[in-house]
Amino acid sequence: MKATSRSDLLAWLDALSEQYTVIAPRMVDGELLYRPVHASDEVVLDFERTRLSAKSYLLPETEVILEIERQEGQVTLGEPRLDRDQVILLRPCDARALRALDALLLDRPPADAYYADRREKTSLIGLACPQLWDDCFCTSLGSAPDDASAVDVMVYKDGDAHLVEVITGKGRALMDGLEAEEVERPTPHSDRSGEQIAVLAPEDWPGLFDEAYWHQLAERCLSCHACTYVCPTCRCFDVRDDTTAAGASYTHIQRLRAWDSCMASAYRRIAGGHNPRPDKAQRLRNRYYCKFCYSPSDFGAVACVGCGRCIEVCPVGVDIAEMLANVAALAKGRSA
Amino acid sequence: MSREIQEGIRVQARELLGLGEISCVIGYEQGPKGRVRPAFVYDQAGTDRLVWDQTCHHNLVVYLHDRRKGGKTSAASRVAVVARPCDVRALNVLIHEGQVSREEVFVIGVACPGMAEGATLQAHCQRCRERVPVFYDALVGEPARVKLPADDWSDVAELEGMTPAERLAFWSREFDRCIRCYACRQACPGCYCFECLAEQVDPAWVSIAHGLSQKAFFHVMRAYHLAGRCVECQACDQACPMHIPLSLLNRKIAKEVEALFNYKAGGDPEIPPPLATFLKDEELPL
Repeated sequence: MKATSRSDLLAWLDALSEQYTVIAPRMVDGELLYRPVHASDEVVLDFERTRLSAKSYLLPETEVILEIERQEGQVTLGEPRLDRDQVILLRPCDARALRALDALLLDRPPADAYYADRREKTSLIGLACPQLWDDCFCTSLGSAPDDASAVDVMVYKDGDAHLVEVITGKGRALMDGLEAEEVERPTPHSDRSGEQIAVLAPEDWPGLFDEAYWHQLAERCLSCHACTYVCPTCRCFDVRDDTTAAGASYTHIQRLRAWDSCMASAYRRIAGGHNPRPDKAQRLRNRYYCKFCYSPSDFGAVACVGCGRCIEVCPVGVDIAEMLANVAALAKGRSA
Repeated sequence: MSREIQEGIRVQARELLGLGEISCVIGYEQGPKGRVRPAFVYDQAGTDRLVWDQTCHHNLVVYLHDRRKGGKTSAASRVAVVARPCDVRALNVLIHEGQVSREEVFVIGVACPGMAEGATLQAHCQRCRERVPVFYDALVGEPARVKLPADDWSDVAELEGMTPAERLAFWSREFDRCIRCYACRQACPGCYCFECLAEQVDPAWVSIAHGLSQKAFFHVMRAYHLAGRCVECQACDQACPMHIPLSLLNRKIAKEVEALFNYKAGGDPEIPPPLATFLKDEELPL
């Protein structure tokens, strides 16, 4: 464990930015967002949660995955890659969320080459939360505000100073520029108090599929994409060859991958026009089943970290924590 | 004031559901974290859930679209909706556009004291001159005795005072934050296309990229589609997770529409919207 002052911590980030793109919480027109920082004085270290997660640096909102250039009968293909390694300062839940992305995009062959490239070139510095914030429920999902299991380096607040703990070899490689004193200290613990929500095991979900509850729950849902886009684990995308994007034309075609949302009514529409999930209740149910039933059963990771963002941004108060509690009660009622 | 309105809503809801005249009351309830949210009450026992205060900013008229998808409505599917003056104007727009028929909806009109923002009223409520809806089936609350200043369009004047380059920079900065979540569109009663141009696949007018040009195109297009139809309820601003001042675009167009046609969207149950009307021999003010 290393002890360092706030100014030395920030100086370390400046040192890192010579070699890496440093992405950290920064105020952007009134919103706190993970954004590349040019100088460490832009970095916000005391905060609750950023409005958006850090997933866009691993799975960008829009990514050109193939460039097709046609000139004088010749076709050339280009595959853009991340040119610079990146370091992301982020909350432990946002780091842990990448496990859900890994489970789908990395762990089982064939790995998603674009994601794998970014993941390889990314180091994660965790900023431990001192406590759970409003709407958070990470402790209900087997994690904690100071969960260091998914980061390379963990930074804890210690009064006005910071404690820095190296977690992985990748993390050790970042430590050169840090002015810090080696101290013998136990790992600090955050306040874990907060409501514990019962989360049903994946195998308990299928039996509740036809409950009328899903229709009641979704009645207020507007079918917007806000929950899926602020979610650090939602990872659906669409791929299209594009000639309308800036820089693309009929001699220069871009194959784009862009975020898509299962809340959209056309998301599941297939050739011929059939839509297996025409109703918003079916779509909202699917979102939750994806997180708590399909993802853990098919890929081995629950796709929710309890960050609370979807609760915070939902324009009409759809609340995933309330849903989990209600579903647990439904299951209990059935088995009674 | 809010307490009276809340009590009035509950009394109306109990009575209507008791008489079996309606199948559902669309109002507001308190969510588990204390925030107010839309509520759907189907029986008298549930009416105690209904609340009202000056944070009830959702335009509930948007939910009437969901109810039409089942096809022709019967008496039993008639619903009651709690509606502020701006919400009723939105309903009026939908009635004129043939989306909802007046008989399908029982309007529990709210004599609206305005939506709170801290200790004061939200800007659009401060300039709202309408404390009682243009029509209703029952009115709850006492109309507030407030001085109603004329709309001076000062918010739009600020925008108009910018040079085109400044205006482009302003909106580019705002739209850059957009995440293409469409919460603005989904919260808007006036946006009810089955397939939005921004998401149409065949033909694909707009790229799937989350780029500034796609975002700007979407917002400007949406603002134009709401010309003479936007009722300034600001459901879009309230829904936007990135706090983009979307309604300012609509305000600029509303000002033009008022100047050209002396028309305020949904302001009169008898007068159809100018852009949905054509009169032989009419003189275009352009």
